[in-house]
Amino acid sequence: MDYGIEVRDQEAVVRLRGRLTFNDHAKLRALIGEMGQNKPRRQVLDLSSLEFVDSAGIGMLLIAREEMDRADKQFVLRAAAGQVKRVLTVAQIAKIVPIED
Amino acid sequence: MTDGDTLPSGAATGLRTRFAGFVAPGLPHDRSNRLARALGLRPAERPAEGPAEGPAGSGALALLLTDGGAAEADSLWLPPVAAWVEPAASDEDGRGVAALLAEASGTDLYVNLTTATAHDLQLGGRLLAAIGARHPLSGHRRDDIELALHEAVSNALVHGNLGVSGMKELSAQELERFSRDLGDGLADPVLAARRIAIAVRIDPPQTAPAGHGPGPAGSRPEDAPENGRALATVEITDQGAGFVPRRPERAGASGRGLDLIGSIADGLEIEDGGRRIRLRFRL
Repeated sequence: MDYGIEVRDQEAVVRLRGRLTFNDHAKLRALIGEMGQNKPRRQVLDLSSLEFVDSAGIGMLLIAREEMDRADKQFVLRAAAGQVKRVLTVAQIAKIVPIED
Repeated sequence: MTDGDTLPSGAATGLRTRFAGFVAPGLPHDRSNRLARALGLRPAERPAEGPAEGPAGSGALALLLTDGGAAEADSLWLPPVAAWVEPAASDEDGRGVAALLAEASGTDLYVNLTTATAHDLQLGGRLLAAIGARHPLSGHRRDDIELALHEAVSNALVHGNLGVSGMKELSAQELERFSRDLGDGLADPVLAARRIAIAVRIDPPQTAPAGHGPGPAGSRPEDAPENGRALATVEITDQGAGFVPRRPERAGASGRGLDLIGSIADGLEIEDGGRRIRLRFRL
């Protein structure tokens, strides 16, 4: 997995690409750090280019959400597709994190 | 019945794969020749891109590798390659590999790798490609089976062989702890040398009533394909401390993997104190 961050006035958009699995722990740690530091209160994770996520990947997204909560930031998932959308649905993540189309 | 080196993965089911040779792209020539003598097999040319002609199981090749890099090419996960086996560093005379290939011959697809090597490969996706080359899989089912295989392999490597516990609290500290434990585990030569063994059997749809069809010798009744669909049985065995399955704690960051597997697989059994998981998928 890799990612790019675009900081706008109202929100920061983080675009994740590739496969998000247990092996991406170091990248997720770095990403959580960057999201905590940048200015906008609203942090959007754009999942449209993410091809695959596993249960540990979902766990790491939930950790990111919790850390944004602690930093008084809003955390939103956006535009999940394909396998990623299916897994988020099956794991009932929408009950915990806002998911936008 | 687990004896450390060979990880027998369940009841023998007769001969399914006859190996005609092996490929060993990363092994030194002299070692490759010694293995050829021990195995009574010829070293074969690396298979060309694209699947080979001919029925599955005929002229099968085993890939012998000592690191993940030697199995990076997608073509090495397609027919005729049907086994992916890592010789132990101490296995100079090839007897260890011979035992693993004997095990492999009772399966349709067989993997036996160290944790260090398996960790470098996306084994879930690789296995899916190998299964899909023998039996066509459609979009959603393909995605789902890949996830189930990936989750089961990850569990065996991370929680089993490396003994790393899942992320419990939802905090960056817990993610850091997971990261550190995983790194420490992979750096520990004993843990990194623990094996993961994967045995796959694919049984075609059976139209005859159960028990009367020409099933493979020794196959158990619960292995019989039903509903006119082929059945893949995947056994994944690790050398960790095992685990006791319990209800996942919904609040944590981990614990969803087994649930996801259960929602996808048509059968899920956990054996040997949690060191072996047997999954069944109707294809």
